[in-house]
Amino acid sequence: MEFDWSEDDARFRRELREFLDAGLPEDWDAIAEHGPGSDAQVAFARRFCPRLAERGWLTQSWPREFGGADASPWRHAILGEEMWARGEPRGPQYMNVNWIGPAIMRFGSEAQQREHLPRIAAGEVFWCQGFSEPEAGSDLAALRTAARLEDGHYVVNGGKIWTSYANHADHCFLLVRTDPASKRRRGISVLLVPMDLPGIEVREIPSVVGDRYFHEVFFNDVRVPEACRLGPADEGWSVVTYALQYERVGAARYARAARTLDQLAERARERGRLGEPEVEERLAGARAACEAARVLTYRVIDRRARGLPPSADSNVARVAGTRAEQHVARLALELFGTEGLEHGSFADAQFRAAMPAGVAVGATEVQLDLIARGVLELPRE
Amino acid sequence: MDFELDDDQRAVREAVERLAERHAGVERARELAAKQAYDSALEEALDEAGFLDVALADGAGPLEAALVVEAVARAAGGVAVAAAALVAPAVAGRSLPRPVALARGGDPSPVRFGAHARTLLLADGDEARVIPLEAGDVAPVASSYGYPLGRVSADLGGRGESLGPGSAERLLRFWRLALAVETAGVMAAALEATLEHVKQRRQFGRAIGSFQAVQHRLAECAIEVEGSRWLAYEAAAHGAPAEAAALAAAHATRAAETVFAETHQLSGAIGYTHAHPLHVSSMRLQALRLEEGGASAHRRAAARARWAGRG
Repeated sequence: MEFDWSEDDARFRRELREFLDAGLPEDWDAIAEHGPGSDAQVAFARRFCPRLAERGWLTQSWPREFGGADASPWRHAILGEEMWARGEPRGPQYMNVNWIGPAIMRFGSEAQQREHLPRIAAGEVFWCQGFSEPEAGSDLAALRTAARLEDGHYVVNGGKIWTSYANHADHCFLLVRTDPASKRRRGISVLLVPMDLPGIEVREIPSVVGDRYFHEVFFNDVRVPEACRLGPADEGWSVVTYALQYERVGAARYARAARTLDQLAERARERGRLGEPEVEERLAGARAACEAARVLTYRVIDRRARGLPPSADSNVARVAGTRAEQHVARLALELFGTEGLEHGSFADAQFRAAMPAGVAVGATEVQLDLIARGVLELPRE
Repeated sequence: MDFELDDDQRAVREAVERLAERHAGVERARELAAKQAYDSALEEALDEAGFLDVALADGAGPLEAALVVEAVARAAGGVAVAAAALVAPAVAGRSLPRPVALARGGDPSPVRFGAHARTLLLADGDEARVIPLEAGDVAPVASSYGYPLGRVSADLGGRGESLGPGSAERLLRFWRLALAVETAGVMAAALEATLEHVKQRRQFGRAIGSFQAVQHRLAECAIEVEGSRWLAYEAAAHGAPAEAAALAAAHATRAAETVFAETHQLSGAIGYTHAHPLHVSSMRLQALRLEEGGASAHRRAAARARWAGRG
C-alpha cells in the first residue's frame, strides 16, 4: 500500500492548477454555482474544453491509437478531481471523456470511431444520455422506446425523460428496444443519435432543482441510419453495463463538495463564526464524509489501474459520494439560517443542485442492493 | 498510489491473523472480560514475534503498525496494542515498557488498560510525558464495555520524562490515528458477527438477511466501515497528519455509532447475550467512541487543522 502521488502525477496536478488559476475568469464562482448543465457553464465549456484538448489533457488517459496518451487512470482521476474541485469547467463534457468515448472505443465501428472520437478528444462536442423513460428509471431494462429497422434506418418512436444537457447536446447516447417482442435485457440496442435529426423534440421539465436541468426528449418517427448503432443489435445491454461501470465513478463530486465546504468555512470566517464549536464540528463532520468518498473512489481507480474488472466497490464509492454531497448540501443550507432561502444565494444554489444526488444515475437503493450481494454476499430476496 | 498490500505488509497481516487465531478470539475475550483482566499472554506473543515494534523496523512505519493494530482489534484481542505499536514508537521514538496507556492531563475520566499499564503516555499541556506507573497510581474501574479501565490519580503531572515541547500534539495525532484504526477493526468484527447471524437466522420461512430492509442497513454499515478503514490507512501512511488523523477518527467514531445501533438491532435479543459474539466487539465500540474527547474533539481538531490558518 502506498498513498503518495508519483512525481509525474504531482507535477501534472500542479500544472493543471496553474492553468486553471490563469484560465478561469474572475466571475467563475458565480458561473459555476449552478452546475455543469447551466447555460453559462456550457457556454464557457465550449471555449474551455478545446484549450484543455490542445494541451493533451482532455483525453490523456485514452489509448494512443485514439488520440490519447495512455496515461494511467490515476491521471484521469486527478483531472476529474481538479475539474470538479473548481465546479467542473468542462460542463457536461466530463461524460464524453469518462464513458461515452471509452464505450465507442470498445464497441464502435471504425467509421464511428473516426467520426466521434476525434471530436470528443478535441473538446468540441456535447453529448447527453438517453436512458431513463417514464416507466424505466431504476429499472432501466423496462425501457420501451422503440426502433424499427426499415431500409437501412432505425425508425425511433418514444420518449426519454430526466435527460440532463439535452438542450445543448450534439449527440445522444440512446437506448432503444430494437426487438419489439423482447423483454427486459434482451432486444435492446444503443444508437448514437445526432440531436438535429427531424422528429426530435426537447422540452424542459421545470423543477425545483434549477432551470434547464431536466428535459424530456421526444422521438417521433426519427430516422437514424443503421450505421449509428453502437455494438451488436439487440445486445446493447452489455454495452450499457460496460459504459455504466465507467460512468458510476467518473465524476469526482466529492471534490466539488469539498470545495463547497471550504467556501462555507470562508463565509463562516468572514462572519467571525469559524471558531464556534458547532460550526467547526459540522464542517469537519462533512469533510470527513468527503474524504471517505475520496479514498473509496481511489480504491476503485486502483482496481482499474491494475486492469481488474469492476466490482461492487464501485457502488460503495458511489453511495459514499452521494452521502457526502447530501451532507454538504444540508450543511450549506443550515449554517446561516434563513439566508439560504433567498433565491440564488450560495446556500440555495448548493442545496438545490445536490437534491438529485441520490437519484441521478442509479438510485441509492439499487446501489445498496448491489453492495448487499456483491460485498456482503447476502441472499436475494 | 497503490491500494494493494505489498508482500511484506501481507506477510505481517497474515502472521498477526494466525497468531490472533491461537491467542485471541471471542472466547478468550469473554474469559478476560469476566475477570476484567489483561491479556498478557497475547501481548507476550505479539512482542516475541516482533509485531509491537514493527513501526521501528527498517522499511516499515505507522502503516505496518496500523495493520497489526487492526488485525488484533478485529480478532477481539484484549491488549493495548495500539498504544504500544502505533503511538509510543511515533511519539517517543522507541518502544516503552508495556502495557502502555494513553491519557490527557487534567482529564480525570477512566483510561483504557489504565489499571494494568506499566507506562502512562500523558498529554500534559504542550508536552507528552512518559510516566512509569507504580502501585496505587491507578485505581481499577469496573466496566461492561469490553476493556479493563483504570482511573489515574490526579497528582501524576510533572512526573516522568518529558518528550519535549510540542510532543503533546504528536501524541494526540497518533492517538487519533490509533483510535481510527482500532475502531475500523472492531467495527469489521461487529459487522461480521451480524452478517453471520442474518444469514443463519430464519423467520417467516427465510433467512432474515434476504430482506431488503435488512440488506440496505448492513450495506450502509459496510460503506461506513470501509471508508473508516481506508481513511485510517491513508493517515497512517502519511504519518498521522493533524487533519487526516482527526478526520479518520471523526469518521470512524460516527460510523461506530451507526454500526453499534444497526448490528444490535439486526441481531435481535440474542445479540445482547454473553453467549452471542456481537457484544465483544459492539460494547468496545462505545469505549473507543468516547476516548480522547470523542467525535466532538476529533472534529474540532480536524476543523482547526484544515481551516484555522487559511484565508
